[in-house]
Amino acid sequence: MLRISRVLVAAALTALLAVLPWRAAVAAEPVKIGLITALSGQSALAGQAISRGVQLAIDEINAAGGVLGGRELVLVRRDDESNPAKGVVAARELIHKEKVAVLFGGLDTPVALAIVPLANQAKMPFMDPWAAGTPITKNGADPNFAFRVSAMDELVDVAMVEYAQKTFGSEKFGLLMINNPWGESNHKGLVAALDAKGMKPAGSEKFDGDAIDVVPQLTRLRDAGADTIALVGNVGPSAQVVKSLRRMGWDVPIVSHWGPAGGRFTELAGPGAEKVHFVQTYSFFGDQSEVGEKVIAALKDKYDDIKGPQDITPAVGVANAYDAMHLTALAIENAGSTDGDAIREGYYEIGTYPGLIKTYQSPFSKEQHDALGPQDYVWAQFIDNRIVPVGLSD
Amino acid sequence: MDTQLVSALISGLGMGSMYGLMALGFYITFAVSGTVNFAQGSSMMLGAVLCYTFAQTLGWPIELAVPAALVLCAVYGLLVERLAVRPFVRRGSDAWLMSTVALGIVLDNVVMHTFGKEPRSLPSSLAVSPVEVGGLGLGVYPLQLIIPLVGLALAAALHLVARRTRWGSALLATSQNRDAARLMGIPIGRAVAGAFALSTVLAGVAGMMIAPLANVNSDMGTLFGLKAFSVAILGGITSAWGVMIAGLLFGVAESVITMTLGSGYTHIITFALVIVALALRPNGLFGRAEVKKV
Amino acid sequence: MKRLSIPAGLAVLVAALVMVFFLNSYYVYVLANVALIAIVGVGLNVLLGLTGQISFGHVGFYAIGAYTVAILTSQAGWSFWPAWLAGALVATVAGLILALPALRVKGPYLAMVTIAFSFIVQHAIIEMEALTGGQNGIMGIAAPTLSADWSIEQTVAVLALLTLAVSLVAYTLLARGTWGAAMRAVKDSETAAESVGLGPLVIKTVAFMVSAGLAGLAGGLFAPLAGFVTPDTFSFMQSILFVLVVVVGGAGSVIGPVIGAAILGMLPELLATLEAYRLLFFGGLLLVVLLVAPNGLIGLGADLLARLRPGAGAPRSRALAGDAGHSLSERARQGLRLDGLSMTFGGVRAVSDLTMEVPAAAVTSLIGPNGAGKTTVLNMVSGFYPPTAGHFALGERTLGAGRAFRIARHGVARTYQTSQLFDTLSVADNVALAACRGRLGNLLGARRYLSKAARQRAAGLLAFCGYQGPLDVPASQLPHVDRRLVEIARALATDPDALLLDEPAAGLSREDTDRLAALLRAIADAGVAVMVVEHDMELVMRVSDQVVVLDTGRLLAAGKPEQVRADPAVRRAYLGEDLDEARPVAERPPRTGPEWLGVNKLVAGYGAEPVLHGISLKVRQGEMVALLGANGAGKSTLMRALAGLHPVQAGGVHLDGQALEKMPAEAIVRQGLVLVPEGRQVFAELSVQDNIRLGAFLCPADREARLEEMFERFPRLRERRHQRAGLLSGGEQQMLAVARGLMSRPRVLLLDEPSLGLAPKIIDELFAALDQLRRENMTIVLVDQMAALALSLADRAYVIEGGRVMAEGTAREIAASPELADAYLGASTPAAG
Repeated sequence: MLRISRVLVAAALTALLAVLPWRAAVAAEPVKIGLITALSGQSALAGQAISRGVQLAIDEINAAGGVLGGRELVLVRRDDESNPAKGVVAARELIHKEKVAVLFGGLDTPVALAIVPLANQAKMPFMDPWAAGTPITKNGADPNFAFRVSAMDELVDVAMVEYAQKTFGSEKFGLLMINNPWGESNHKGLVAALDAKGMKPAGSEKFDGDAIDVVPQLTRLRDAGADTIALVGNVGPSAQVVKSLRRMGWDVPIVSHWGPAGGRFTELAGPGAEKVHFVQTYSFFGDQSEVGEKVIAALKDKYDDIKGPQDITPAVGVANAYDAMHLTALAIENAGSTDGDAIREGYYEIGTYPGLIKTYQSPFSKEQHDALGPQDYVWAQFIDNRIVPVGLSD
Repeated sequence: MDTQLVSALISGLGMGSMYGLMALGFYITFAVSGTVNFAQGSSMMLGAVLCYTFAQTLGWPIELAVPAALVLCAVYGLLVERLAVRPFVRRGSDAWLMSTVALGIVLDNVVMHTFGKEPRSLPSSLAVSPVEVGGLGLGVYPLQLIIPLVGLALAAALHLVARRTRWGSALLATSQNRDAARLMGIPIGRAVAGAFALSTVLAGVAGMMIAPLANVNSDMGTLFGLKAFSVAILGGITSAWGVMIAGLLFGVAESVITMTLGSGYTHIITFALVIVALALRPNGLFGRAEVKKV
Repeated sequence: MKRLSIPAGLAVLVAALVMVFFLNSYYVYVLANVALIAIVGVGLNVLLGLTGQISFGHVGFYAIGAYTVAILTSQAGWSFWPAWLAGALVATVAGLILALPALRVKGPYLAMVTIAFSFIVQHAIIEMEALTGGQNGIMGIAAPTLSADWSIEQTVAVLALLTLAVSLVAYTLLARGTWGAAMRAVKDSETAAESVGLGPLVIKTVAFMVSAGLAGLAGGLFAPLAGFVTPDTFSFMQSILFVLVVVVGGAGSVIGPVIGAAILGMLPELLATLEAYRLLFFGGLLLVVLLVAPNGLIGLGADLLARLRPGAGAPRSRALAGDAGHSLSERARQGLRLDGLSMTFGGVRAVSDLTMEVPAAAVTSLIGPNGAGKTTVLNMVSGFYPPTAGHFALGERTLGAGRAFRIARHGVARTYQTSQLFDTLSVADNVALAACRGRLGNLLGARRYLSKAARQRAAGLLAFCGYQGPLDVPASQLPHVDRRLVEIARALATDPDALLLDEPAAGLSREDTDRLAALLRAIADAGVAVMVVEHDMELVMRVSDQVVVLDTGRLLAAGKPEQVRADPAVRRAYLGEDLDEARPVAERPPRTGPEWLGVNKLVAGYGAEPVLHGISLKVRQGEMVALLGANGAGKSTLMRALAGLHPVQAGGVHLDGQALEKMPAEAIVRQGLVLVPEGRQVFAELSVQDNIRLGAFLCPADREARLEEMFERFPRLRERRHQRAGLLSGGEQQMLAVARGLMSRPRVLLLDEPSLGLAPKIIDELFAALDQLRRENMTIVLVDQMAALALSLADRAYVIEGGRVMAEGTAREIAASPELADAYLGASTPAAG
């Protein structure tokens, strides 16, 4: 018995070693792009979306001859399990062992925040296609190696308040935040955004990612007189909020961060899902630009599970990562090498680039490490299984 | 009565009965074999995922999907026992605690790669339109009322099966005196395997019942399973009814704390209560202290 | 071990330190992380390996250490070093606080308490936002500097490796020293630990604190290494990883956690390129590793390591010839006085109002039928049961209220019915540890325990007690007789005033009992107040200065042996009617049925030492065969081996031509060989009728009709058919056990000690039922301590002694044979006559 088991282990280990891609150096040495994101656990789907956006862009770039005169881009991915400690180990591995040229990563804000000091210290350009925490790019380092093609919590929070005031005439905001770092960061942002308008939240509640019943929190918000709910939560928990509202029979406008876009919100939330208005940087529904058509076609072609725009979830992950990779390739070209500091300067030199989300005009500068701003945010809602910009459904 | 309190009680009893059901699963294997599947949350997830796959993806009628999912849950339970428990118990090692966790990690990740990373929702007509309860202006999904009833009915059914059937009393006998049970000709190995199958089925039922209210994905069971374990311990893992009652208490405590103090403190207070309860009653709330044999 | 592992360990440490300066920063980081996990593992090993406690909450202590450093350096402006120390201290204190509730509970309950603790820590960190930064954690943690050119990773790696080395040395010292022995003693038997003056609670608490402190120390280094702390980093999964480090490496071994940490720290990195499939493979590989090495990789390589580590520091020198003067000092000692002691269990008075003296320098025997309350008296006097009323005193000092270990320290030592040795400690360690009498000295010290004087005294005591085996074998490997002797030596090592012995002669041969008698005398002559609970009347009459008779918890008589023996009340209550005269052994025609059950050269035992040395039996169909012999002769082991409850090492068993020796118990029952086990073993929580029904598990046909038959046979059971079996009297339980066995439709019925502990009247009733079975031609093999009774029923009998058949023949032949008197009746004849 024991002998057989030992043989089995040996076989398993050998098989494993054979599977591991021990890549030999090739003639024209490829340029490695590192990506650290959650590939397992609750955020795995978003991690997959980012991976697909980056991979799609890399395929296009390689098809067009690569970078730096014919060098291919290669994606090296690591799973951070949404755990900052694991993310940092992976970052060290990619920086010091794999020697990537640029590091993409940080699906979760705490993971990104943990990696940023390391990136700055190692002079490694860090491109964030998702995590919206404000201090990721505004980290106080000089030179600063962190860039972002995504929304920024602080700005999203301001936009949420303004949108609600404009659309629903909201006066008393009830804040309902998921109990995780993302929720906490937005709680601060929303309080600050309200404060800037001389307002205070009517009430402020937290709820858990695995909560089934959010009635207690919602009841307290209603009792506090809230006329609008500002919601920050991933797709599953956000759906629970809609279900609980339905039980209470409380018809209240909801403005939300982009959480609901992370999955099949209508299926999860049931009737009432369309009442949630949420922010997006991009929607694959409706009229598409030339780039948009191309990306959808390529995604359908490459991934069997994508039949149409409704399968590209979360859309922001794909879109942000796709543009971020193209911008990064431009920065590498501008740098003329894979030297980190040169690539950082290369980002600043990008001129006009017609991307998926928009046509970028000098997206980065020493003072501006965020390529997207409030003017790029789109408000959307779920109509059946489609994310539709608000107003288009009428 | 206060609307909020009624609401908290209803959802607390619902969750609590599901904790209780899963905790009964812990109780059954512990009583019969002195071991548990520490990754019972994965079994719960399996029940929900299989039910979703059969009913939604494959479009089977629900009357077929539920039993089919439960049969596969039972098979998984047998697998757990065969692969992660028996080899260790046979050698007198306590490493089953760890190996069941390892098997749980494997299952979670296999499901993630096959079922998908997206949370899905198992539709149920019982969880769409709320019904009004007692004119308090509060809606409750019919399923929320049904869940505790199903939980208690299953517990009662188990009680009857244990007392009235040949294999039921064989399990009871095994839990009381292994050697004597063997002398009755009860095949202990099969009894233990059966206990694991049954325990996994109970977790699977909990997963299916919860699924329409919650979301179905590969890590839906992790925390739930852990809470169910604390319920089993709190009840005194040697007492079936104690375990069920502890489940209801835990569920109600959880929702009342969330209602009064907010969810941030729920875990702190419920787990602190568990510690205090065990410090005061080291064999659980309803467990019987063994007479100290010197 | 010292010779080889210290240079080897140093070499590994130096190599690791060198690597810190030559590897790239990623590998240095991984190395530092492995060292940190290993430090936590070493700490956890103190709990898991030495003390036998589990904790799934160590990530809580790790987090406390890390957060203390983070908060003190980032917010309070401390430098790293004092903050690091503070982190370890806070974690240690947290360990103390958690130990208070945690150590009241055991097993899965303890696991739960520690899991709850880790959740509370994690969520408290989230909620204490002002202090901890909430969900987003703390950045900007001050790092230690050792040299200006070293990076943070290098500095922390060096610190972590040195800390690991120091903690390994400390662990080694702890494990071989007095405290380590005490921890293992508590793990092996808390009861026995208390009776040599060790307070299990204190010892377990210290283990918890040490373990928590090491986790805090590692956590304090993790904070500057990572550069940040967030609540997510300290998830429950990390706690499981810590336990795995110890389990995979091997609990209780010095380097086990280091090996475990190396594997569990590096494996995820090796699997990193699997991207999304990493966790899947990690889980799978983990399962495989556990399957291959369920007791750790160290356990797997035990053969190799056994050569590197000879017995834990015990001197191999054999004991000097026993010199009682050197080992057990002759001095004036105090006697015990029991005053109105009473004990009630759930309304039943086990002992009522017992007043007696146990004078110094004398042997007092406490006798009485089973259930008279003798062991309860010992348990009260040694502090395990608090008396319901009354008190007792050693000399002038009243002891009534104390805990067992305090009473032991005051000078009351005891032994147990089934010897409770510290099985993982060696023979000499058992005795030397007891000699500390609960005073353990400093945590890493070993003077009281390993010093030459301590060892010589231990060897002397063992020799004094007549132990002649090796001193450095683990106690678990000792044969029965030696366990008794070592246990007595261990009790004497505390230099007690009073020594309580619970059935010391049980299972001993005649010669061993003779030596025991001499030993008891010698102990009393050294001034000790000896109190013996014993069934062996010959021994009692021979050694006692005073005999005290208990009956149903009351004092029946007390006095010199001859007086008590002559007391008619004692004869009536204790000895019952004279069974030998009531049932003469009848001459029966020999049974002529075919040979039915055959046992051929059966060998079985525990560990290496067989209990049965090639037993052969033949039983014809319809025959009733009695197996006779003293306690410990191997009769019950034989019965269990026949029934498949005990593995057969060699030899064969066949029933009607069918070989049974390889079958599991349930298959043997199916073949019709049914055991009614010693001690009844009814299902206490089930009703009487459900117990009987379970007997028909394999043959449920016409079960209810046969249930009625059983009620015909045992009318007492019908009256109680709905009662819980646990509430029946001993005699009723025995009838139930027989009825349950008969429900299995036996072809051969094995009865193990049916009369044990029953009142004479009930024994009559029971044996009438057995006689009925015999007349119905049921094939029966009967083991019973009441030889005369068994012989009055049996056709033939075997005499077994020391695991061998000494004689066989018809009941009448055996009743007259000298072997029987030697082996068995030698013990009871003097008492009966």
